[in-house]
Amino acid sequence: MVRLLLGRLAGLVAVLVAISVMVFVIFNVIPGGDPALRLAGRHPTQQNIRQIRHDWGFDQPLYTQYFDMMNHLFIERDLISYQDQTPVLPAIRRGIPRTLSLAIGAALIWMIFGITIGVLSGLYQGRWLDRVLTVVALAGVSIPIFWLGAVLLYLLTYKYHSWPVFSWIPPGGYVPFTQDPAGWATHLFLPWITLAVVSIGFYARVVRNSLLDTRHQDYVRTAKAKGLSPSRVLVRHTLRTCLIPVVTLFGLDFGAVVGGTVILIEPIFGLEGVGQYAQESVAHLDLPPLMALTLYGAFFVVFFNMLADLTYLWLDPRSRTT
Amino acid sequence: MIDSPPVAAGGFRTALRRLRRNPAAIVSAIVLVTIVFACFPGAPLWVSHACNHGPSDQNIQGTITENGHKVPVVRNDGTPIGPGLRACYLLGADSNGRDLFVRILYGGRISLEVGFISAIVCVTVALVLGILSAYAGGMTDSAISRLLDLIWSFPVYLLAVALATAFAVHGIAVGPIHVASTSLAIPIVVIAIVYVPYVARPIRGQVLSLRRMEFIEAAVASGAGPVKIMLAELLPNVASMALVFLTLIVATNILTEAALSFLGVGVPLLTPSWGNIIEQGYQTIVTAPWLTIAPGLAIMITVVSLNVLGDALRDALDPHARLRIRN
Amino acid sequence: MRRILITVAVLLLAVSAGCGSGSSSSAGSAGAPVDGGTLRGAIPDNPDHLDSGISFAVEGWELLEATNNGLLTFKKAGGGQQSVIEPDIATAMPVVTDHGRTYTFQVRKNVMFSPPVNRAVRPSDFQYAIERLFHVGSPGVGFYTNIAGANAYAAHQASHISGIVADDKTGTIAFHLVKPDGAFLDDMAIPFAFAVPAGMPYKDISTDPQWRVATGPYMVKTYTPKQQIVLVRNPNFHQWTAASPKGHVNEVDITIGTTPEQAVNETIDGQLDWYMEAVPPDRFTALRAQYPKQTFLFPRNNVTYFSMNTRKPPFDKLGVRQAVNYAIDRNALVKIFGGQGIPSETVLPPGFGSSYQEHHLYPHDLAKAKQLIQQAGATGASVQIWTTNADPAPKAAQYLASVLSQIGLNVTGVKAVDDSVYWDTLLTQSGDPQIAFNHFDQDFPEGEDFIDTTLNGEHIVNVGNNDVSNTNDPTLNAMIDRTKLMPLGAARNAQWAKIDAYFMQHDAGWAPFLHLEQATFVSPRLHGLIFTGSYFELIPEMWLSKQ
Repeated sequence: MVRLLLGRLAGLVAVLVAISVMVFVIFNVIPGGDPALRLAGRHPTQQNIRQIRHDWGFDQPLYTQYFDMMNHLFIERDLISYQDQTPVLPAIRRGIPRTLSLAIGAALIWMIFGITIGVLSGLYQGRWLDRVLTVVALAGVSIPIFWLGAVLLYLLTYKYHSWPVFSWIPPGGYVPFTQDPAGWATHLFLPWITLAVVSIGFYARVVRNSLLDTRHQDYVRTAKAKGLSPSRVLVRHTLRTCLIPVVTLFGLDFGAVVGGTVILIEPIFGLEGVGQYAQESVAHLDLPPLMALTLYGAFFVVFFNMLADLTYLWLDPRSRTT
Repeated sequence: MIDSPPVAAGGFRTALRRLRRNPAAIVSAIVLVTIVFACFPGAPLWVSHACNHGPSDQNIQGTITENGHKVPVVRNDGTPIGPGLRACYLLGADSNGRDLFVRILYGGRISLEVGFISAIVCVTVALVLGILSAYAGGMTDSAISRLLDLIWSFPVYLLAVALATAFAVHGIAVGPIHVASTSLAIPIVVIAIVYVPYVARPIRGQVLSLRRMEFIEAAVASGAGPVKIMLAELLPNVASMALVFLTLIVATNILTEAALSFLGVGVPLLTPSWGNIIEQGYQTIVTAPWLTIAPGLAIMITVVSLNVLGDALRDALDPHARLRIRN
Repeated sequence: MRRILITVAVLLLAVSAGCGSGSSSSAGSAGAPVDGGTLRGAIPDNPDHLDSGISFAVEGWELLEATNNGLLTFKKAGGGQQSVIEPDIATAMPVVTDHGRTYTFQVRKNVMFSPPVNRAVRPSDFQYAIERLFHVGSPGVGFYTNIAGANAYAAHQASHISGIVADDKTGTIAFHLVKPDGAFLDDMAIPFAFAVPAGMPYKDISTDPQWRVATGPYMVKTYTPKQQIVLVRNPNFHQWTAASPKGHVNEVDITIGTTPEQAVNETIDGQLDWYMEAVPPDRFTALRAQYPKQTFLFPRNNVTYFSMNTRKPPFDKLGVRQAVNYAIDRNALVKIFGGQGIPSETVLPPGFGSSYQEHHLYPHDLAKAKQLIQQAGATGASVQIWTTNADPAPKAAQYLASVLSQIGLNVTGVKAVDDSVYWDTLLTQSGDPQIAFNHFDQDFPEGEDFIDTTLNGEHIVNVGNNDVSNTNDPTLNAMIDRTKLMPLGAARNAQWAKIDAYFMQHDAGWAPFLHLEQATFVSPRLHGLIFTGSYFELIPEMWLSKQ
């Protein structure tokens, strides 16, 4: 187990190194992305541009620039963006609580609804409730997330804002939990719903299928034969087992959301989290924050992947032998 | 994530029978056929018979007559005309005075094409990599697996945007092949690449389990070469899985096209796609909400149908499979 | 000046900054200004810099105008008055000698830097400010290379700029120019020439409270990027003349990271007084109807145009360039800009006083345009259009695409490039496209800024080339060079107007279509809005009514 863990950790580092090299290479071959010109402003003299190239090290060989950037990112921890020359790490630190608030809240909603709908669907397999829930669940997965956010924002904070049911919903932005817990929740309400809606359906499907598999397993039959009440069998035996794949999937998903999906949703709601920072940096072709953010995103994806695998091993002893 | 037993070639007939008993699958198939029909033969028919406005015809200064009054297509403050029961501008106009309904029909062509072609590319590449990786093993396997890990770990949208931006300025030049920066090939390739690991990994797993089975060992014993085994024995046995994936990936890719266009790195301007119609319409969501809502609904209806169909197909072909894609 | 601040490109109309011929306006007629209160402002993203040597975007300048001062200043008034130059830290306008090549200023003795520097401003501080530009990679150095010895200083061949002679004992500072330049007064009025304490480090001091010192009525108390900027009264400030603004509000709190949509809603809900960015055009229509006293359309000193590269076919032919001018319907383009612009075919904007004279060379005429294309033998020529991705530029570019197709050109595509990369790409010869969406916003409100910068063929370079159309007409160049030597005033303005018309008729490297207006929406308690092209709303003039 320890060896496995170490192996996975080494793999994580290797993947991050490879990704950083890839990002660096991609952004150095883009024509028109010359940061020296951007730093020089509109009335640059040739001397000006040379000076900036020299000061920022753009005249150094690429590998030197790469190591320099890694040094500023991980050791000196004072990486600065090209776009507005602000430090990158404080901006990311500021974004993390926002992004995690969004992701964790949404995850709670989608897990609760996903499992409930999945169990209902599974219990009523093949009947109309199952079919309706299936289509509803799949409809959720099929909505472009940014579109859902934009339309909800338009309808609830503009078009029908005067209706008392919606008037408490703010038009985007973020309030820290420590400053005003109620404001924090109201500001995150729409983003949570938006992010959750696209995942509920998927979890409902997984729970449903897993439930159907488990129901026919021997130990469930044994439990039934022992005369336990159906609800007890469901809760004590079936659910516990069928949630194993849900837990591992959750690991993968949560990583993917924190590391990626937030890019599409934060800018819509002006949450100014890590996703919005990433979206802005990529639009500005601003390499330093992009490098840091890609590594941050990749870290979440890989780390939660790893966690999911390990949880799976731990939850499901059968898999250890295979 | 996948633990399905191989499906024999004859399973397709059983599957078809199961599909026909699923009303949701039938409805979604009908919806899909309708959408494809409306977009492909339907779009030019509408333009030639109902209203003579092509998808790119602009009419900012024009007027139309409604209830005997002349109404400008675009008002002086830039607000375009809204939806109404009329042949021209059925769903209203956009800021450039173009007919939204016609653009959605033509945009559907592009969105479906991008979704479908990139899904084919993606699944084909994934099949090659997955089968090769599992069958060859050793160095090839580790090399391919690491490559897939790498793509997998790269946050999807960051990877897509990074690639698309890299290609967008001067196009891609690989040896003698040069793809212009405004080519549709760029979003297609980008979208295909990012989802390869999602398909290749389960296929690799499937092939690994197949390799240990008797019929493969028998084929090896009878002296069949590796290429023949891969094509004749392994490919048919992962075909059902690939088919299910294809449906789901088309759905995912339509959403990804929309997302990339929304981020401004998808389908180039001038070519309407559902994604870039939303992107342009979103700027005026307050004064002209239909420009955002209508193309979004088109995406949603199409993708729901594909997902329901894919889901049913999976149940029919392979009830135990757990395939999934995150978008 | 280009608006460097870009927020989420998909969310905003972030078309450049610039100008306003400045129409002055006070919000409501609420009587005499009242002092006190805290102004609640917001901005979508960090201002580019709070360092007068480096900032070159409207948001930075807007704040620097409230906190810092130069020898000269633009009159704190809207309308045509805004281009009038007045003494600021100088006691009077400079004495000009040596046939317009020497400017000598007398510096006020009683102007103090804010804490922690706490000392009087000296003539040598102005010299230091300009020399510092050459060490911090300032985008403003180009304004000062006409000072004698500046190039030698830039090349590290001298310890000081020989053409700047500051005498702290007598309180004078003299500038010796290589050749006469009437617009040197403008160069002395913009933030690059603002006083900074000698010894200020050769790096961006935006976030360094030790060196981020003020001379004006306000000082930046705190600046936390991505969070907040707080301006408070500068304790060392006292009005040096009755005309110098003293500021009305006690404090300005600017929240960073408010999107335009949020800003509108917060203003409606009474949580926000002032937003530093334009209202989304989409919202403005409804707001204008509902809150007529709180909405304003301020004319900016901007020209928005399609620039045609005279070095690339088919735009190397005059007939083709004229055809484009005939083909576009300027009123249609104004609609694409949400009605927020003045349709026009001039280079210079209406805010430039008498140098703006609308010509009527190109009435909308598709048939004529088509005929010109045929005569030039350009029918079927391939054209790719470039545009920034900031809305509504892509829509304007698509409109152009449809028009060019109608007159017989073969449009192969519209390429939208992210706003932050687009402008640098345009300014590089290797990236210079055939035809591109373009705009120019003032650095200072004078014809030279627009015309000499963008149309004088003598300035064509490979990188950082502002003459995007590569217009290089010897007659035009000579006219520009002569006019630059003239002193500011009516005769000079008339000359700029003549050049404007000459260019549009004989070169036509541009197809100008409108001068942008800035849509502003403020709270009902905010008054004293004076809009100028250089600084937009002047913060020291704002006041809050008691409620």
